[in-house]
Amino acid sequence: MEEEIWKKYVRSMSEEAGATLDLRVQEIDNGWFERFGTILKDRNDEEITKSCTVDTGEAPKAIEDEVPEIETDEAKIIISDVVGLNIEELYRVVLYEIIHTVGADSDNNDKESLFQYLQDAFKMDEEKHSEALAEVREKEAPSILLNVEVIQAKELYPKDANGLSDPFVTLYLNHNSSHRYNTSVKTETLNPCWEEYFSLPAEDASEDSLVVEVWDFDPAETVSEKIGKFSGVKGVRGLRKLMKEIAITASTGKHDNEMIGVISIPLKSIPSSGHVKWFSLEKKSSRTTKRGAIQLKLGFSSEKNNQVAAQEHRHLMRLIVLQEMEHNKPDLQTWDGSFEGPADIILRQHAAQSGLRPADEKMAQWVEFIRLHTNQPLNFKMFSSIILSVTDPLNNGLYSDDEMKLFWDGTKRLLPSIFQGIRKLRKTYTPDKNCLIQLDAMLSIIAELSKLEVADNIDLFPSSIYGWLQNGEKKAPTILECLDDAIKQSASEWFVQLVESTRPAEVSSENLLQHAVKITQQVRGDLQRSIEHFDKIFYTRLKVQYAIMSYRIYDEKIAELVEPLVTEVCSTMKQLKFKGNTPDIENADVDPLTMGTSLFELYLALQRCLMLGQGLFPVGSDDFKMSKYHIWFYKGVRHWLDMAVFKATQRIAKAVELDDLKPVDNMTKFSSSPVDTRSIFHQIKLFWNQLAWPDVENSFTFVAKIMDDICRCSVFYAEKMGEKVASLGDVENSFGKSFVITNEWCLAVNNIDHVRQSIQPFTHELGVDTIVKNLSEVSNAAQADHCRETLTRLVENSVDTVQNKIIELMETMAMKMSPSIKRFLLEGAEIINQDNNHLDRLMSYLEENVGTLYSQLSDENFARILAILWDNVYNILRETVADGLERRRPPVFFENLNTTLDLLVSFFKQKETVEGNESYKKIKTDIQLHGMSTDQLILTYYLERLSEQTALNNPSYGMMTVKMQLILAHSLLRIEILNCRNLLPTDSNGSCDPYVKIQLLPEEKFSGVTKPRTKIHKKTIFPLFDETFQIQLSKEQAEMKSALVHFVVKDQDFLGIMSSQFVAESFIPLADIPITTMETSIHEMKQVHLQLTKPTSFDSDVFLALEHRSGEKLARDFIKRQKAKVHQNNNGKH
Amino acid sequence: MSGKSAHKNCLLKVIILGDGGVGKSCLMNRFVNNHFDDHSFHTIGVEFLNKEMKIKNEMYTLQIWDTAGQERFKSLRTPFYRGSDICMLTYAVDDKSSFQSLGMWKNEFVYYSDIKDGSAFPFVVVANKVDISEEKRQVSEVEARNWCKENGDLPYIETSAKDAINVDVAFNMAVDIWSQLEAEMDKQGMSNDTIRIDPNRNGKREACCGL
Repeated sequence: MEEEIWKKYVRSMSEEAGATLDLRVQEIDNGWFERFGTILKDRNDEEITKSCTVDTGEAPKAIEDEVPEIETDEAKIIISDVVGLNIEELYRVVLYEIIHTVGADSDNNDKESLFQYLQDAFKMDEEKHSEALAEVREKEAPSILLNVEVIQAKELYPKDANGLSDPFVTLYLNHNSSHRYNTSVKTETLNPCWEEYFSLPAEDASEDSLVVEVWDFDPAETVSEKIGKFSGVKGVRGLRKLMKEIAITASTGKHDNEMIGVISIPLKSIPSSGHVKWFSLEKKSSRTTKRGAIQLKLGFSSEKNNQVAAQEHRHLMRLIVLQEMEHNKPDLQTWDGSFEGPADIILRQHAAQSGLRPADEKMAQWVEFIRLHTNQPLNFKMFSSIILSVTDPLNNGLYSDDEMKLFWDGTKRLLPSIFQGIRKLRKTYTPDKNCLIQLDAMLSIIAELSKLEVADNIDLFPSSIYGWLQNGEKKAPTILECLDDAIKQSASEWFVQLVESTRPAEVSSENLLQHAVKITQQVRGDLQRSIEHFDKIFYTRLKVQYAIMSYRIYDEKIAELVEPLVTEVCSTMKQLKFKGNTPDIENADVDPLTMGTSLFELYLALQRCLMLGQGLFPVGSDDFKMSKYHIWFYKGVRHWLDMAVFKATQRIAKAVELDDLKPVDNMTKFSSSPVDTRSIFHQIKLFWNQLAWPDVENSFTFVAKIMDDICRCSVFYAEKMGEKVASLGDVENSFGKSFVITNEWCLAVNNIDHVRQSIQPFTHELGVDTIVKNLSEVSNAAQADHCRETLTRLVENSVDTVQNKIIELMETMAMKMSPSIKRFLLEGAEIINQDNNHLDRLMSYLEENVGTLYSQLSDENFARILAILWDNVYNILRETVADGLERRRPPVFFENLNTTLDLLVSFFKQKETVEGNESYKKIKTDIQLHGMSTDQLILTYYLERLSEQTALNNPSYGMMTVKMQLILAHSLLRIEILNCRNLLPTDSNGSCDPYVKIQLLPEEKFSGVTKPRTKIHKKTIFPLFDETFQIQLSKEQAEMKSALVHFVVKDQDFLGIMSSQFVAESFIPLADIPITTMETSIHEMKQVHLQLTKPTSFDSDVFLALEHRSGEKLARDFIKRQKAKVHQNNNGKH
Repeated sequence: MSGKSAHKNCLLKVIILGDGGVGKSCLMNRFVNNHFDDHSFHTIGVEFLNKEMKIKNEMYTLQIWDTAGQERFKSLRTPFYRGSDICMLTYAVDDKSSFQSLGMWKNEFVYYSDIKDGSAFPFVVVANKVDISEEKRQVSEVEARNWCKENGDLPYIETSAKDAINVDVAFNMAVDIWSQLEAEMDKQGMSNDTIRIDPNRNGKREACCGL
């Protein structure tokens, strides 16, 4: 499940990144980001292949690691068992039973085939068979049986070189000494314990005696040597071979065994009720030495002893199992323990004729199958079905103490293979159905056993075999404790073995990291298999939480292995070299350790391992050592982030280099590099998402750092983009060198903007909101807000900074256009008296470029660059004006500029911007004025004076009252000057001799028109003129809108009119004078009070423009006159 | 004349370093918001505020980075050193050990910021919390000034974020020093007619993330 989610996640991430990426960009660093970003994806595939290779490669090797002692022990037991088989006697018993078959079997089966089967199973040669058959056929059932239990012996005389013996017992009745019974061989002991049962036909109880001989088995050849001899042939075949030899030995009596001691017991000495007694052993040849003692249970009965029968059944079972194994070869994986044909009949006959209960048969199976199992593994399913039928009789006390002991002895032999199976479980990489069935069976056996009470005298878990048990010193563990230990031990051993088998040959940090990655992944794989296959079985059978138990072991082991490694690597990691603020790309160390990839892989591996653990164990997973895994990597994160910037910068440089500055498709207006760059950001995000740093406070800081880095990268991109287009767009044609804005330039702007636009959404993608939310939980809301604000500001600043880069690029464009604009502007302005085409070249240049910009840029950026271009053009125009003034260009130069300016304002849509702008107003005025003829300028001056006069509130130069009428029909202007008041005295005596002169302006339009004047009034500043004048105008003059009537008050000097002094003046537009008919008398007109003024200053634009033309006589004279007005007046005041 | 849309932000990155609890955040808050909070929390990793400022008739945005002084944040804060234009080394006058850490802070900054020449970088030593009573004071002005002298003649100023003493002065002082160094750098750049060694120095406006 979890695996799937991750896969999907990675897939969707990579799809999101888009398909248009230039793979060459990744190539420069061998897909560093992709390796980070898609480590998961790769690993998933890899894991699958890995588990497959392991399946065939590593696993078998692991299975061979059997525990050698077990084998040796088991082999000894097998040998002794086989040696002890009282083959001939048992043969006779079974032959007898076949002859006297009971029940349904008798009719249907050919006795001969049963004999044949038996002869084969017992390895009897023809002669022996015939002899035995003949004997048995004559045989009558004996009336009295001597039941002997050979219990034990003590203090036996040592026979072997090692000071011990391999004793066995042979018993027979004196009068039938060829009919011998043997016990099993007990190896390497002087105090053997047999507990074996025999029934001897005691035909002559009064005279006969029982001979009990204790032998040392084959002292020439130790048991170990015997094992060596047969170990070459494994399995059933080996056993059979061994058994055959023993059988021959036993039946011929030709063994090289050495007698330890003997005792002869007269039958009549045995009480009829029977007894248990110790007998001292003797030896004929040497009476002096003590040969030891043997304990026997002796008694008589009329029927075969049940214990003897059960023992017979077991022995028969043993032989038949071996025979079956060799000849019928059942599939051991599925064999259910049943037999067919003769084997089945013989066993059933024996059971029936010996009066055995089903419980006895099952016990025989249990004991004998286990015996075989230790050499030839059988399936556990069979054992689990046997134990189910044994436990009830066990609990109900149906078995004797001796049988109980047999059961536990068998169990004791079976258990190691079960625990072995459980411990080997995790080596099965792809458990098949059978494996799971076996596991289920093993666990059900354990479940059944755990319900039983173990006999006191049984040490189920001898430390020689269960060395791995953890409670070594404690008293005997329960079977469930043992299971716990087995599971833990299994995990632990598997881990150690994994570590060893994958340990890198060459010890380097990189190799060790890879090693740790491998281990962590394998562990995770193991856990997943455990969960998928085993966990449920363990829980259902025994409520054992297999996966969690394993997990806890792994958790500790991994922490133990990885923590020091990671801490070490992180603290010794080389810091990246930075050149200024840019990573030092040229001198980059490409060592994978420096790249940090493996470290990150390990991080991810641990992360996912922990996730698995948390999934298994949702509560209390904080205890896991691995839950602190990220802390180990703490110092590595900074490095990763540095690496990310480093790699991103490298890639961006490459992306820009590879960018052909063509739109990626018809729909877009950007080229390939911003797509690449965004995909790099995407990779960084992917990295961050994968990092999934668990600690909130750190997450915040890391995100802040990433945002800062993204900004860095964006700025770096902008710079690289700018450099790329820097040399483009320079053209040279017949008009000279010029710069043309190309689509490439526009693309560059769009590209940067495209990258810029990705910054804001990037914040969300980094999961900032979640981080802030978590912060407010971990810390408090205020602090979380703080952090959110910090991030917001960071992003805003980033966006702004990149925006600045765009503006810079636009400024560069504008700057590059400047020389052309300047030239065209100047050239246009210089064209005098031609058609209006002086603007053509400038405007077409602008139109061409702005057209390109308009078609390529976003509205927002177009507005921006328009503003910048306007700024630039405006400045150039201003410079041109200044320059023109400097060089005293003719009015037409400025007039041309004036029309240009108007056109530009509308072209750049700057009407609103220029409105109210002082600088604009100034330049506009300047070019307007300088574009005028001098006459116009002079008129403008007068008009300016008129407006000053109108605005005046405090007539400090006095007032004048007039009546005026314009008789338009006759083009006649009639003016009555009534008076002046409060004239400013010009004479030192505080008075003057005023008169008023009337003239019409502009002078050049009214040349020839009379300029009447009043009479001179002496010594008054309140002269009363009351004079009326008629001025005849032409029709055109009368209708001239801009014409002014100019009244000049003068002071008649003593030298006469010619040297009159200027006193004050007043203006009134001709257009303001009421139009009347000829009949209207001047007296009917309203009085008009005109304020008198004087030129106050000479720094007005108009005046300055006039002064600028001081080379021109008209202007020069005018200026002189105007200045005189003030000058004379000032003089007069003195 | 240019429209608002074409307005450029000139960013200047100022970083405040010093032991935890010397009042870095308070200095920043006093300077930017003219606000003092007695019970502020420790800073998580980093934090920053913007403040507009006019330097030689040009508007700048001071981007003031406040770092976490606690040792556990060390690997979190150092990545932010890179690209700083100004560094303010702070300590509290009632905390001798914070004063003794100054050298460490300076070294850490020089190391992680990758600046070429620590001596030509605008550092300012800020002695905060001068509002405390004289008997609580553990670091004398003389002692501090000596240290500054021995460590590259660093400018020194005593402040109190709590009582708003000298906080603006401290920042202005830092900016002035930056501006001076900048001017010298420009002069050198022009007179020598050589390529700039450190391209970042002239890129004022991308100071925050200047590559």
